[in-house]
Amino acid sequence: METEVKDQLVSIEKPELVAPPNWEPVIMGILCNWCSYAGSDLTGTSRIQYPPNIRIIRVPCSSRVDPWFLIKSLQTTADGVLVSGCHPGDCHYISGNYYARRRFLVTKKLLNFVGFHENRVQFSWVSAAEGPKFAKVVNKVTEDIKKLGPLHLYKKENFEKK
Amino acid sequence: MNYTKQIQEIAAKLFAEGKIDVFVGYRMNGFDDNQVPVLISGPQDISKLVFTDKSVFNLVNYLKTDHTRRKRVGLVVKGCDSRSLNLMLTESQVKRENLYVVGICCEGVVDDDGQRMQNCVECMVPDAVVYDELLGETLSGSQTLTGSKPYIVNVDIAALAEKPLTERAAYFEEVFESCIRCNACRHSCPLCYCAKCCIDQETATLYNGANTTSAAFHALMTWSLHLAGRCVDCRNCEKACPSHLPLHLLHKQNESVIFKNFQEHLAGVNPGDRGAFYKYSMQDPDDFIM
Repeated sequence: METEVKDQLVSIEKPELVAPPNWEPVIMGILCNWCSYAGSDLTGTSRIQYPPNIRIIRVPCSSRVDPWFLIKSLQTTADGVLVSGCHPGDCHYISGNYYARRRFLVTKKLLNFVGFHENRVQFSWVSAAEGPKFAKVVNKVTEDIKKLGPLHLYKKENFEKK
Repeated sequence: MNYTKQIQEIAAKLFAEGKIDVFVGYRMNGFDDNQVPVLISGPQDISKLVFTDKSVFNLVNYLKTDHTRRKRVGLVVKGCDSRSLNLMLTESQVKRENLYVVGICCEGVVDDDGQRMQNCVECMVPDAVVYDELLGETLSGSQTLTGSKPYIVNVDIAALAEKPLTERAAYFEEVFESCIRCNACRHSCPLCYCAKCCIDQETATLYNGANTTSAAFHALMTWSLHLAGRCVDCRNCEKACPSHLPLHLLHKQNESVIFKNFQEHLAGVNPGDRGAFYKYSMQDPDDFIM
């Protein structure tokens, strides 16, 4: 009995809800065009495997990411979000990722404050030459979110049934 | 705190000199001792003006309306209101030369029960920071303007932050469930002046205007994040909310994070300061990013 309970994956925000068997998380990956998107491309062309749970969206710069995007992703299909951009100092638009960094911290803390686990929203800097790092990042995010279980907070009605 | 007489004198003087077209102040609401904002367009209505502890609303909100736009306006501002006025000036929403600002050294306003409002108890900038004329005794001089007082973390935030995640999630789910999506919070906010709001556009496509918990979550979270680094904690939104939602929780949470991590002054304290999200520093925390 004990092992059974242990094996059941519950949503960390709502422990009364159990994940269906063979549940796989959906992760929204929002990547900057100039570094992380090229980095993910390199991961593919270098034939490094990373989990297929991530769904990638390309944006011009990490500062293009309005906190709204994260909220919207979490409301619809996503169980977690990964936002990735250029390393500080490498931004194609010189300072975009510095602005983005501030916004990310505030968004992350606010989402945590209203009840989302802090690992639901994650950020990384991945340059165009860091193919293996991108695979590592996606592996880590997927593992983290698998531990947290499915997200059941504030889902839009049509997305409630999984 | 009673500046009724002084404000009436100032308004009379301004109308006599022809310096203003409209004066925005407070009047008694007519049936109890609470006050409502009033726009006065001539010297005949000056006797309506009052200013006491019950003058709770942020009058800067009325600079968005057609009654005041492109007109010369006299205005009464308290400490928090003046900070939102400062932000509106910085963001080019109003022209300083069109305004005559009566600043108040605020001692705090009271709510319906006669209790001092929570944001006034925790207020760090009670004096008006932008004014043509200052009423009242300034307690600590202009040093308060740069936020030399230590930052006071809101009591509700501190209490909620200690609770476990599941309890916080349950609490906020109830909060967002009570929202009726009337958007009074947005309309009452002096800094929400966009002609077309992104929340409405989203509502049209994603939710068909549905009044669901999910839609309320989306609207309030987006709204508070668009006001992060700009909110001055005047709590006009909370006073306007028909469901009495604790909207300050979202704003104060953002403010405390910004204040702790970015070494910023409070929003609107310095003229020309556009808020924390409009600038950056190389020393911003980076440890949460992989």
